[in-house]
Amino acid sequence: MTTGMALLDWLVMAGTTLAIVLYGLWKSRGNQNIRGYLLSNHDMKWWTIGLSIMATQASAITFLSTPGQGFGDGMRFVQFYFGLPIAMIIISIVAIPRYRKLDVYTAYEYLEQRFDLPTRTLGSALFLLGRSLAGGITIVAPAIILETLLGWDTNLTCIGIGALVLIYTVSGGTKAVSQTQQQQMAVILLGMALAGVVMVLMYPPELGFVDALHIAGKSGKMNLITLPSTFDEFASDRYNILSGLVAGTFLSLSYFGTDQSQVQRYLGGKSVSEIRIGLLFNAIFKIPMQFGILLIGVLMYVFYLFSPNPMFFNEQERQAILATEAGPAYAALEERYHRLDDSVSTSWQGWLAARNAGDTQQEAMALEQAQQLEATASRIRAEGVALISEREGSRPKDQDRVFLAFVLEHLPEGLVGLLMAVIFAAAMSSSSAELNALASTTLVDIYKRQIRPEATDKHYLSMSRWLTLGWGVVAICFAILAGQFENLIEYVNILGSLFYGTILGLFVVAFFLPSIKGKAVFWAGLITEGLVLAIYFLPIWSEEIFGWLNIGYLWLNMIGCVAVAGFGSLLQLVLGAEGEKKKKP
Amino acid sequence: MINLSHMSQSPQYSEEDQELQRLFPLVKRWKSLYLFVLAELVGLIILFFTLSRFFS
Repeated sequence: MTTGMALLDWLVMAGTTLAIVLYGLWKSRGNQNIRGYLLSNHDMKWWTIGLSIMATQASAITFLSTPGQGFGDGMRFVQFYFGLPIAMIIISIVAIPRYRKLDVYTAYEYLEQRFDLPTRTLGSALFLLGRSLAGGITIVAPAIILETLLGWDTNLTCIGIGALVLIYTVSGGTKAVSQTQQQQMAVILLGMALAGVVMVLMYPPELGFVDALHIAGKSGKMNLITLPSTFDEFASDRYNILSGLVAGTFLSLSYFGTDQSQVQRYLGGKSVSEIRIGLLFNAIFKIPMQFGILLIGVLMYVFYLFSPNPMFFNEQERQAILATEAGPAYAALEERYHRLDDSVSTSWQGWLAARNAGDTQQEAMALEQAQQLEATASRIRAEGVALISEREGSRPKDQDRVFLAFVLEHLPEGLVGLLMAVIFAAAMSSSSAELNALASTTLVDIYKRQIRPEATDKHYLSMSRWLTLGWGVVAICFAILAGQFENLIEYVNILGSLFYGTILGLFVVAFFLPSIKGKAVFWAGLITEGLVLAIYFLPIWSEEIFGWLNIGYLWLNMIGCVAVAGFGSLLQLVLGAEGEKKKKP
Repeated sequence: MINLSHMSQSPQYSEEDQELQRLFPLVKRWKSLYLFVLAELVGLIILFFTLSRFFS
């Protein structure tokens, strides 16, 4: 078992990670009451809020997978974030003043103030269901990648990440989470920026940064803005400008406005203005940040055009397919693929030379040759991936592994350790926020509201710590279970998003449709959840009969939200009329 | 319904505008900050479109 990390890397990784944990413990010392534990005593400044929101959203898989997305699919994923600034403005105007006026601990508390207890319980239950599963995934997803690339035991990595998070989250609550997230974001941004700069410095001397962008563009990777040309593309393609602006706005509204793991990041703000600026900070910097991370993936693609790269980045899968009957066929494909390495590099160098010399005819010829060679390499790789996917239990996707494979293979000692610290920081920042939110929702919306309403502040503080610890153990156990079945991860990620539309619908009705009352919205929420689950699962169950229902799951947020409002209005008409009849003898 | 008083148009700054000015003296009104965020989004889309074309 090789680790692929030198002593310096271990020191940098361990030192950075432990320093952040100790900082979190130190900054949140002396927390003696439930208000301090869950709302940080309303002392958070806008920059803490802004960085905390950003760090909560960016999990380890974001930093592993996004460069891989750029490498394989180009820049178009950036469009996914176009709805975020719009959503942040709406939340700033509509939700923040309401949450602060009622001085709520959780977003779902507001639902009871506006409707009734069943609706509050429905909102919090949907959140707990979706987020508790996602909490485990946040931990296990990077652990699986670290196992395949470094040989680390997945279970031990899950326990390690979970234990580090629990040390400061149990002890310091919201304040510890938010304070550590500032340091974690600093480590993440520094690590990613250095990786990008070092990558460009490792290019061949004749290849400059702008040249690399031109080559990326000629290879179809600078697809920053894409428009759907058919209705099918509009509905099923997740990443185009329309889905980004419309469906992305709904997704961001539900995630940042109603998901307690985000809402808790800003409820502890010093004032409405501090919270708003924190949200708008995220609105301003999120898209440029994602652009930068995707660009690293695109620059990595160009790097590999000039240096040999594996046909498939998951070495375990490669070994597994080579050991089967399809092994010789796969090995032959690999040989053909690597035979193209030099030709691809030479043809792009020819294109660069012709372009710099102003020889347009030679430039066009070299470009055509390079593009043909790249297309051939892609076809061979696709055949290889098809062989891998035929093996039972295989994992035919290697996108999440591309960036870390590059880091381990090409980056210098020390920087590898820093990038590993980036992965740990990202995993810890997301999971600490999730555990913190799960504990506060269970305490405030379930335990304090429905099980033990009259208890001392000390009791609730102690209970919050136990709940954080309990949810942490659940997340670690689920992570270990999910680690055995990696394909589960994709389903659970999607499953989480199946609840967002309904939750957002409850809040949209609460904010904008004052005539709809509790009973109508509660049943509308239940019906909608059934509808959303049906829209997602029926095409999977029978493609032949329900294939027409197959739409990108990003749109389910909008459908869920609109359906709650629609069903709520209809039910209110019916229930309202019945209520009137009952009133009249 | 929705409270838009913090986006007041009057020459007198609302209480919320004044709080914004305390945090960010350069920005006078919330409305200006919201418009700046939207303008940045539009600017980024135009920039991305231009980059797509330029490097294609």
